Amino acid sequence: MKYAWLGCLFAGSLLFAGPQDADSNVNAQYTVETVILSGKGWTTNLRSETTDKISTSLYHQLTAIIGQKLNPAALDGLAANLKRELSAREVTHRVVRGELPEQVRVEFEVRPARASVGVNVNQFLYDSKQGWSGSGEADVTVRQQVFALGLVSDGDWLPERYSGITARYEDKDLGTGRLSLKLVAESFHEQWNQATVAAVAAHPEAGIALYRTRTDFQPTATLVLAKPLTLTVGARVETLETETPAAETASANAAIATLRYHREIEGLENQQDLDADCSLRAATRILNSDYVYSLRSAGVRYRFKSGKHTVTDNAWVGMISGRAPLADRFVLGNTYYLRGWNKYELDPLGGNRAVYNSVEYHYGPLQTFYDLGAIWDEGQSAVARHSVGIGIRESIFSLAVAIPLRSGRVEPIFMMGILP
Amino acid sequence: MAEPSRGLQISRRGWLLAGFAAPVFRAWGADSLTVSYDGDNLRVRSPDLHFLAGKPLERLQEGSTVVYLASTILYRDRWITPWKRAEARFVVSYDVLGEDKFAVNTPGPPPRHALNLSKAATEAWCLDNIWISVADIAPDRQFWLQLELRTGSQRDLSSVLGDTGISVDLIDLLSRPGAEPPLARRAGPLRLADLVRMPGRGPNE
Repeated sequence: MKYAWLGCLFAGSLLFAGPQDADSNVNAQYTVETVILSGKGWTTNLRSETTDKISTSLYHQLTAIIGQKLNPAALDGLAANLKRELSAREVTHRVVRGELPEQVRVEFEVRPARASVGVNVNQFLYDSKQGWSGSGEADVTVRQQVFALGLVSDGDWLPERYSGITARYEDKDLGTGRLSLKLVAESFHEQWNQATVAAVAAHPEAGIALYRTRTDFQPTATLVLAKPLTLTVGARVETLETETPAAETASANAAIATLRYHREIEGLENQQDLDADCSLRAATRILNSDYVYSLRSAGVRYRFKSGKHTVTDNAWVGMISGRAPLADRFVLGNTYYLRGWNKYELDPLGGNRAVYNSVEYHYGPLQTFYDLGAIWDEGQSAVARHSVGIGIRESIFSLAVAIPLRSGRVEPIFMMGILP
Repeated sequence: MAEPSRGLQISRRGWLLAGFAAPVFRAWGADSLTVSYDGDNLRVRSPDLHFLAGKPLERLQEGSTVVYLASTILYRDRWITPWKRAEARFVVSYDVLGEDKFAVNTPGPPPRHALNLSKAATEAWCLDNIWISVADIAPDRQFWLQLELRTGSQRDLSSVLGDTGISVDLIDLLSRPGAEPPLARRAGPLRLADLVRMPGRGPNE
């Protein structure tokens, strides 16, 4: 089975590499003079103009081919990126004569979508300790509005394995270009690991209860304060059906606020990305919540890319005050945080304090990483844990082996799948 | 032992299959396929087979690469039971700065390429580089030949992979015109003994 997956990953990466006929095209001898991007009623010459219709990243991808020899096969990939980012019905491209000898212009024409219906696989991964996890959704997009229905079964992210359905409505532009709205409804059935069940029974003083179902409704609005700084505010109404014989319900209703910053810096020979966010979730009696707690977290992710070399640092810290449901407690030891460790060995109930840092180095598809983290509860002392790993990552396909660094036995964890 | 010839004994199922397959191929009625024999291989020529046309030609003139896949199939009987098959691949492009000139190459073996060809010369070059080995066929053995030409897919995974996973746009997928039906030409019945023998131009010339 593992070999089959390996084969799939390599085949996928080969396909992703695109057709091998690029250098067979006679026009590959010409130099790209400029790139023209046009749509209904607008045209932008990317050699001399900037545009806010596309992201900085895609703008740099398009302008990077100016002055270079034409690679006709790469134009298909750029058109696909434009189509995806602009939610366009179709993006066509053509190469025409430039103003100077031996130079050509590349023209992309964007045809706007009236509506689209899509199927997305957001996550599909295997962890040798936690098994399979996956999520996908079908969506209908009409202009800037998205309706989506999804299925999920995830044994990776939280202390529980949750399986169920999700529904999402999103309006990406409420008229001003600065405000968007998102409504998410989810209904999950929970399965608990024996380690978690035993830990709950052993620590009744912690006031942590298991639940058999979890239902959420989360309306949020995102405001662009000043590009690229955004503020998301909203609420989450959550109902938990407890596992007591009487099947009582408990609520965890919270106000939500997240401040997010994202910046891309494009140099001549390198690219830098910076992501930073801080979040607050506050559940109070005022919101008719049975659980009263506040959750604060902050994270910074920095990526430096030069040629085939990429270095990434991902730092994150979180703190919970009060009594939070298990789904809101922090988890380390999954395929994202402190890879190589088993979350049920680290803390089967999750923690209310966590800190984490990961350094990754990529050379092309080859990947190596070092993770460092600690998870604990208030009043306990933090214990730092380390892990290292190697793997292959091509686009969203990932295959990695992570080894926890501890005295005694070496027990690597194998992870693979689609990891956006 | 010689291959048993079925001659014209064609089953009802065979006729039914042929009937269903007929609309799939374009213009096989306008049959003008000339077959020649160089001692090892069969070669084909068809002056009225114009595959640089329509949408593929538009894509070429917009600077894209178009891949043509040619299949030469020998049949034991009247184009029903396949016997031998040979494939060839041609990568064609159009010089957007040239004077209506094309370039073509084939990975072979051996790899070959040609530049600054007119449309007609490009089509002829591709046909010149299509052959099928008949070294193991008895001179008096009867067979039928079909040549198919179709465009290869240029799609790759980058159109469905995104930052958030794999996405497929169903409307785009369902509304996309299907692959163009292959162009086909037929000849037969043939016997090596009856074919005009050409000077050797085998793949290792």
